[in-house]
Amino acid sequence: MNAAWLPLTALATSLLVTVVIFALPEEARKARTIINLLAAVAKIVLVILMVRRVAAGHEDVFSFQVVGGIDFVLRADALGVMFAGLSSLLWLCTTIYAIGYLEGSANRKRFFGFFSLCVASTLGIALSDNLFTFLIFYEMLTLSTYPLVVHSGTDKALNAGRVYLRYTLTAGVVLLLGTVLLYSLTGEHSFSSEEGLGDYLNDHRGLLTLIFALLVGGLAVKAAMVPLHGWLPRAMVAPAPVSALLHAVAVVKAGAFGILRVIYDLYGIELSVELGVTTVLAVAASITIIYGSLRAIAQTELKPRLAFSTISQVSYVILGVSLFGPFGTIGALAHLLHQGLMKVTLFFCAGNYAEELGIHRIDEMDGAGKRMPLTSIAFTVGALGMIGLPPVAGFITKWYLGIGAIQAEMYWVVVVLVASSTLNAMYFLPILHRLWFRLGPAHGKGQWPKEQRLGRLETHGWLLWPMVFTALASLGAGLLAGMPFSPLDWATRVAIGEYLP
Amino acid sequence: MMTLLLVLSLVWPLCVAGSAIWHAYRTPTAQVGYFSLLWISAAWPALLLAYVGESQWVIDAWMLGGLWELNALSRPWLAFTALLWSLAAVHARGYFKTEQSKAQAGDQDAQRRLIRLLLLWPLTLLGNVLLIIAQDIASFYLGFALMTFAAYALVVHSGTAEARMGAKAYLILAVIGEGLILGGLLWAAGEAETLSLEGVREGILLADQGVWMATLLWLGFGVKAGVIGLHVWLPLAHPVAPAPASAVLSGAMIKAGLLGWINVLPLGEPDVSASLVQLGNIMLVAGLVAAFVAALYGVFQRHPKAVLAYSSISQMGMLTALVAMGLAAPEVWPLLWPGVVLFAAHHALAKGALFMGTSISEHLPRWPLPLIWGLLALPGISLAGAIGAGLISKWSVKGPLYEMHHETLTKLLTWAAVGTAALVSVALWRQWQQRHQGGSNQWQWGAWLVAIIAALLTPLWLPLPAGSVALPPAKEWLGIMWPFPVGLALATLGWLCLRRSHIKAPPAGDLWWLYALAVATMLAPVRSFGHYCGKLKASSVVKTQRAEATLMGYLTRLLSAESWMRHHASGLMMVLAVVLAALLMWEGQR
Repeated sequence: MNAAWLPLTALATSLLVTVVIFALPEEARKARTIINLLAAVAKIVLVILMVRRVAAGHEDVFSFQVVGGIDFVLRADALGVMFAGLSSLLWLCTTIYAIGYLEGSANRKRFFGFFSLCVASTLGIALSDNLFTFLIFYEMLTLSTYPLVVHSGTDKALNAGRVYLRYTLTAGVVLLLGTVLLYSLTGEHSFSSEEGLGDYLNDHRGLLTLIFALLVGGLAVKAAMVPLHGWLPRAMVAPAPVSALLHAVAVVKAGAFGILRVIYDLYGIELSVELGVTTVLAVAASITIIYGSLRAIAQTELKPRLAFSTISQVSYVILGVSLFGPFGTIGALAHLLHQGLMKVTLFFCAGNYAEELGIHRIDEMDGAGKRMPLTSIAFTVGALGMIGLPPVAGFITKWYLGIGAIQAEMYWVVVVLVASSTLNAMYFLPILHRLWFRLGPAHGKGQWPKEQRLGRLETHGWLLWPMVFTALASLGAGLLAGMPFSPLDWATRVAIGEYLP
Repeated sequence: MMTLLLVLSLVWPLCVAGSAIWHAYRTPTAQVGYFSLLWISAAWPALLLAYVGESQWVIDAWMLGGLWELNALSRPWLAFTALLWSLAAVHARGYFKTEQSKAQAGDQDAQRRLIRLLLLWPLTLLGNVLLIIAQDIASFYLGFALMTFAAYALVVHSGTAEARMGAKAYLILAVIGEGLILGGLLWAAGEAETLSLEGVREGILLADQGVWMATLLWLGFGVKAGVIGLHVWLPLAHPVAPAPASAVLSGAMIKAGLLGWINVLPLGEPDVSASLVQLGNIMLVAGLVAAFVAALYGVFQRHPKAVLAYSSISQMGMLTALVAMGLAAPEVWPLLWPGVVLFAAHHALAKGALFMGTSISEHLPRWPLPLIWGLLALPGISLAGAIGAGLISKWSVKGPLYEMHHETLTKLLTWAAVGTAALVSVALWRQWQQRHQGGSNQWQWGAWLVAIIAALLTPLWLPLPAGSVALPPAKEWLGIMWPFPVGLALATLGWLCLRRSHIKAPPAGDLWWLYALAVATMLAPVRSFGHYCGKLKASSVVKTQRAEATLMGYLTRLLSAESWMRHHASGLMMVLAVVLAALLMWEGQR
């Protein structure tokens, strides 16, 4: 039985919220909050329904024809549902956080409207079943994120927005070109078809490689691979919840997810290996990983350091994809979720430090552990996870990636992983040292840059609890990775589907 | 019952840490009893667990699949580790008495330091216990990492410049070690597709590149175990750490590196490859070099705890050499390993007692002097092999080596014991020079006395397999005992000779300063390259922007042509019509 309404409703929840929010007046704060939260919860319920359907072996499809030969198709498959789950879970967390973060500031209607639209596009990206549908939502994401990046309206923000648009729109054109070329070569091609593009290999080898380069090149901009990463550190001027969403699930992950789709579902992993493109991708990802980590060390401000850390970490996903073998795939897919949880935690923490104490630079963080213990514990969990230390989720993915590299006989990848772990330790451990071991304003030395007492606890409750939840989730995803329906378990399910059809 | 105890021994330290923090924040400053009985009890469930029996647990939901086991090896290991942690905790209660009263009087710094210690001490213990019972890679690595990083707080406790320096050295080397271990484990586990430590052993044995995996793991764990070259953190961290922390650091935690080797290296496998045998030989040489050189370097140290740290390096060198025999001469390992465990356990307790003794000599109780100094010397004499458990543990490793005809090694080990004897004599001498009267209390010397007794009676309480340890035959006694008087005599002789000349003591941490220099020199060109890259980027950005501006200028000028075109629209249209007409005509004519 095909429940076509399921993917459609899941998509519609966020889209409808967008419309409602734009229809409501700016002052209707309470109504907006309630609708936003209700929709987020409803979406999580819908995604859980989809998860259960997929686990039972059903794949719900919704489709209609746009013009001859081009269809709009939504399909809830295992990989898509995985990304949709991350997106809807983090939507709830970031929405709660954003409500607290933007308390009393201007233009909240615009913000929440585009925020919902942005999440709606991520869900569309997750569920789209062919390149055409994917492209629609991908461009929608680009445009809906722009107002969020420039939200504060300062010169710096507008500049960052301009850079962001330059990068992503150009990439969109490249992606469109690849899509058109592919459609002209093969016609409609569903992500779920079993054949892959292997039939065209003998006659169109060069063209296939060119299309691959165009598609992945276009997607790599959003995935912030070196040297196409320039927009990401600048987009740090956005408000903290936007940065969190941008880094954890929306933009950066959309690029990585697109590359996953192209390699696994469009080309097929065998064909990609045959074309030799995976090796190139692995090298590019490795360069990105190391470069991102090195640049992160040089940063003196917290958010840019986290941004460069994202550049490095997202390429773990790409690296895992380019390793031929189930372990690499499991590592890549699990990291998609794990990195999302850990990074969102780190950005929530950065936002809390900035809101409560006015901390932006790393050398202002001395002794903040005493003033904000929960935030600092959450930050510690996230940072240790990024380094890849057990029991946080980051260890699980690093382990699978390493095993995958050994099994694919790409030993240098292990060197990259170990070097990256060490570099991660080099830029996260000093922060932890400052938080817990140095003396600061909390011990009567100096003053916080701009202290506010936002709540009865260490900060506003709306800011605190989402962060505590994501920190616990990243801990739980590592500690109980063997449980059914854990990120690792689901990633394994997807990977088995890819390799053992 | 056993499962309950297992859960308790892992959860109890967490509860203890939690309750310590809760009390520290909730009760008024003046009434906080920082080192409560509850806090001291953190290691007791684990100690009890070691004596209940052997067992195995499989927990699928735990990380990558948990496999925990109390077997013939992990039981005695857990026993001596938990015992030392318990004793050190009791000792800490006395040791931090003055700091505690300062904190109760309202000293913020002291409060902060104590709370940090109260929290991270049980966590370090938890890591240590977990890594001992873990038989799967993930749990083992978790325990190891938790112990390593939480112990940072123990080293840095006092917060002085030296403490920060020692802690920094500790942390840098720990991160390097973690990297090496991760690399080695990934490689071995990836080749063998395994998640258990036993699988890693088999994988290393069977893989073509097994020797490289083994080397990575040897060096990775070697950071903890103080393999020569990677040992530099020991003499920097030990003198600055509080005495109870030094005791567990030197007694229990560096043994974790040793346990790591025994867990992952294919020791005692008869069909070991030639290259692994070669690695075994290298380990053997490295171990012996450490045993001798550390002793030679250590006797010149001023700080008694630095001397003891070098003694630890020397002792771990001997243990390295013994573990190496498991690769170089596999047939001896089944007989040798109980001796190695006994050696490690005895060293743990004796070194623990010696480190606790440094705090006793700084706060001498009002006892007869000969009694105190006799007691202070006892664990050292035992460590050199002249009495008690030391005698038996020396025999328990020498016996099997004799039996399998490795006389050279036994001789070298005996001579290394001369170094041990010299080191403990020097340590005692330094303690004498730096002694202070008064200020100790019953917790402090109580734990110390129990540690001495436990060290001297190690074979009696250590749950080793039955019949694996025996008293040496009477004719061998002299052969084991002679190094102590010789070492003592050598130390005295050396002191007499060098008394007049003023040699500057070589810095503790020896090679560390060399490494620091090398890294600083290497970083200079990297930094200048970084500056160059930054400049290059800036200049190319400027150039690109200029090019873009020029291009946009051209475009704007083109736009201005538009108005001209609008102005002459009719004329241009005319021209177009004429051209089109001409084209059509040309087309028609063909």
